Amino acid sequence: MSLSARMIIVLTFVGLLSGSFLATVDLLTKERIELNRQREIEEAILQVVPGTHSSQKLYEEKDLTVYGGKDKKGILVGFAIQASGIGFQGKITLMLGTNPSIKKINSLKVIDQKETPGLGAKINDRESFLKFWDNKDCSNLLTLHKPAVKTQEELSHSEINTITGATISSEAVLNLVNSSLNRLRQLEKEGSLSSEEQDVN
Amino acid sequence: MSTRSIGQEFVKGLWDENPVFRQLLGLCPTLAVTGWVINGLAMGLATSFVLIFSSLVVSSIKKFIPSQVRIASYIVIIATFVTIADRCMAAFFPLISKNLGPYIPLIVVNCIILGRQEAFSSRNSVGRSFIDALGMSSGFVLALLILSSIREVLGVGTFLGLQVMGTWFKPWIIMILPPGAFLTLGILLGIALHIERKTKARK
Repeated sequence: MSLSARMIIVLTFVGLLSGSFLATVDLLTKERIELNRQREIEEAILQVVPGTHSSQKLYEEKDLTVYGGKDKKGILVGFAIQASGIGFQGKITLMLGTNPSIKKINSLKVIDQKETPGLGAKINDRESFLKFWDNKDCSNLLTLHKPAVKTQEELSHSEINTITGATISSEAVLNLVNSSLNRLRQLEKEGSLSSEEQDVN
Repeated sequence: MSTRSIGQEFVKGLWDENPVFRQLLGLCPTLAVTGWVINGLAMGLATSFVLIFSSLVVSSIKKFIPSQVRIASYIVIIATFVTIADRCMAAFFPLISKNLGPYIPLIVVNCIILGRQEAFSSRNSVGRSFIDALGMSSGFVLALLILSSIREVLGVGTFLGLQVMGTWFKPWIIMILPPGAFLTLGILLGIALHIERKTKARK
């Protein structure tokens, strides 16, 4: 057999074998990977919209997805917004829960972030940052309180705590929250938040 | 052909030819993911899986591969195992897979793996290649463990997420940042060279 024929046969064979192996692995893992992704979103929704029994995707655009959380009777208990924006070092993805009238933030959860460990990464830390978002009145635009404080009482009702040494990361989260809340209100006014779309569950 | 005993074939990967400390191979993952012990360990095990299985396959089919297309064939074989590792981690350990991000698919270009196929598995028996891959993997895991332990303990005061340093300890945050990786690796390489020189002088 000529050399080029052997080369072609060997490479084809290696490629075919590897392809079929990978197809099998994909078949075996695809469902689980998709399930993991869904479970992550569902858990996040449940955390930011307490009392959720089932959730539905209501609206989706680039960097913004709105889910509606409903209780057992099918009454809307709140919105969960998954939003992404630019942080200090990379993309920040948040899950933000509001009440049905979009007047109050239930809580905030960081899904993904690439901020500086020990500084900006504290946006994912309850004690220094996340707890200040719990039950926050959001009828007015939220602002940052500088310098950083320790307790909720030291903040006015529309203020959010800064992380010491990570103003840019704190601001990035704040701007992302403010802009997604505005977008959510706008969407609600337009009536774009129909619940016709597919169930997440 | 190798003249070493099976035992020596294994042990050489741990020290004499340790991929990280002696051959300076695979430094990209070594520097990038060793901020936390769990990430270092997961990276080491994923790389070991790819190295061991690629060595087994390459050494068993080496006779059929014309030397002109050997690199292409090795890369396809390696990429197959990397993708398997990547998919399985995403399915069964989603959290670790998220932490390691692009570094799992990047095992494809880890020089340790292609290097061992070219330098060893393509010239030795299946058994010897297996032992060689096992030794090299252990050496790599060991190096990542040492590096990540130092960085996590000094950087945040924990080991595998468990608090090991007392409250008096102020974490050196720089250790879990990229500069900490270079500092730790540099110092460890210095120590390794020093030990090597000492043992040579004694002989």
